[in-house]
Amino acid sequence: MALLGSPAVPEAPDLVDPRRVTVALLDVGKTYPNGRQALIDVDLVIPDGDFVFLVGPSGAGKSTLTKLLIRDELPTTGTVFVAGKDVTRLKRRDVPRLRRQIGTVFQDYKLLPTKTVLENVAFALEVTGTPGPQIRPAVSRVLELVGLTAQADQLPAQLSGGEQQRTAIARALVHDPRIIIADEPTGNLDPLISWEIIQLLLRINELGTTVLMATHNAEVVTAMRRRVVAMEDGRIVRDEVGGYHQEY
Amino acid sequence: MIGFLAFSVRRGWQGFWRNAVMSIAATITMMLMLLLLAGLVIGLSGLQAGLRFVEQKVEIQAFIADGTPKDRIDALAAQVGAQPEVAIVTYVDKETALAEWREQLREQGRTDYTTATGINPIPASLRVKLRDPRVYGQVVETLQAATGVVTDVLETQRVVDALLGVTGFMRTAGIIVMLLVGVTVLFIVVNTIRVAVMARGEEIEIMRLVGASDAFIRWPFIVEGVLVGLLGAAATLLILAVAAAPLGQVVATLVGQVPIEFDRNLAVELAVAIVGTGVILGGLGAFVSVRTYLIR
Repeated sequence: MALLGSPAVPEAPDLVDPRRVTVALLDVGKTYPNGRQALIDVDLVIPDGDFVFLVGPSGAGKSTLTKLLIRDELPTTGTVFVAGKDVTRLKRRDVPRLRRQIGTVFQDYKLLPTKTVLENVAFALEVTGTPGPQIRPAVSRVLELVGLTAQADQLPAQLSGGEQQRTAIARALVHDPRIIIADEPTGNLDPLISWEIIQLLLRINELGTTVLMATHNAEVVTAMRRRVVAMEDGRIVRDEVGGYHQEY
Repeated sequence: MIGFLAFSVRRGWQGFWRNAVMSIAATITMMLMLLLLAGLVIGLSGLQAGLRFVEQKVEIQAFIADGTPKDRIDALAAQVGAQPEVAIVTYVDKETALAEWREQLREQGRTDYTTATGINPIPASLRVKLRDPRVYGQVVETLQAATGVVTDVLETQRVVDALLGVTGFMRTAGIIVMLLVGVTVLFIVVNTIRVAVMARGEEIEIMRLVGASDAFIRWPFIVEGVLVGLLGAAATLLILAVAAAPLGQVVATLVGQVPIEFDRNLAVELAVAIVGTGVILGGLGAFVSVRTYLIR
């Protein structure tokens, strides 16, 4: 990791083994069927344990990039490695196993309104065939980590926005993923609560999980002095530690 | 595996009741479609029974000249009976024929004059039943060739051909109508279940995101679809059971004399067909509906 304040020197992709890092995108291009070029010549390496902000204006390609990582979309050109797997060559039936190594967090939380906090988190284990006796301890552990033990039996509608997002983070964590991908996790939250969420993600990162967070929140990004990958018009225009030089 | 089955059944059951209005709408649709199918099956099967009755009546009658020696009649009967198209040849002597004739007259309420004349005007006859009423082969020719023995062969061929043409058409038309209704049922049920699946699109999306395999996403919905099929079938059977007696009376009054004998197994076959169709349609409908969410 580069020293604070000095520009990071991203390792040249052809020098690293893409299977040994959490995420590696090599010469990735994505053109949608309607002809729109969402990603152009994207190279990005995220080593284990990194905390990366992905910034850029709307339509810069941030969402497309995260969709490639969870194999919701396939690249038109290039290769994408996640957790040591080439997702472009992954068989359809192996996709679920890949997704269990990726925790996803979204702006709109994506919680099930009829399930309690505990049930929402347990759901992620139930639907992946985790044996019943293992579910309860795992859920308790992550709820404690995000500080929602007391709210375990409440429904999402009874929670604040920050608590709902923490529930979503707990759900993303419950599989012990290699990476958390958070797409605008603070987009619906006020500044104070946003800081809480960032603190939580930092803590998770300190415990060893790689975090990739796409955001518009310039204040947060500037203050954190972490690695920032900036995108514009489908290209990575900057990849360095520190500030958010331009307002988007 | 057991855990997976338990999960699917539990989630399917929950899914059914979570959106009870939608599920009941789907069940009622299923029930109406199954009733329509059952009605068609019963109608067709009644038609078939009626047609079988008519077809059984088709026989060739050869009248025997009075005073023909019995051995010549037997020889002719054996000759005709040996032909592959023939099912059975019956000899009806003059007395039996007369008795039948009197019976018919009495049933129709007409005066029997044969008692007055004191002679038997009714000839003996050979009655030939064919294996297939459409295939005559050389039967008529053989009978007509026996001059001196046979006075006349009752020519029913043209009538029978016309009748069989009509019955064949009705059979084909009935089967086509049933197929069309079946396809319509499938579309309606698939569409209804698709709406129910769409209402749960968010849940499916979350399942995909957290890494649920296709089977875990699909099977609860299939269980739910099968449940819709089973409940629809149960409701259909209940309605049919309640309606059977009054309907039977109506049919009896309408059809009257023609003895339409339903297959005794019809009730069982119909029940199996209704439950089977319901389960298959429900499961298939759910399968098709969820598919669109899985293929990406």
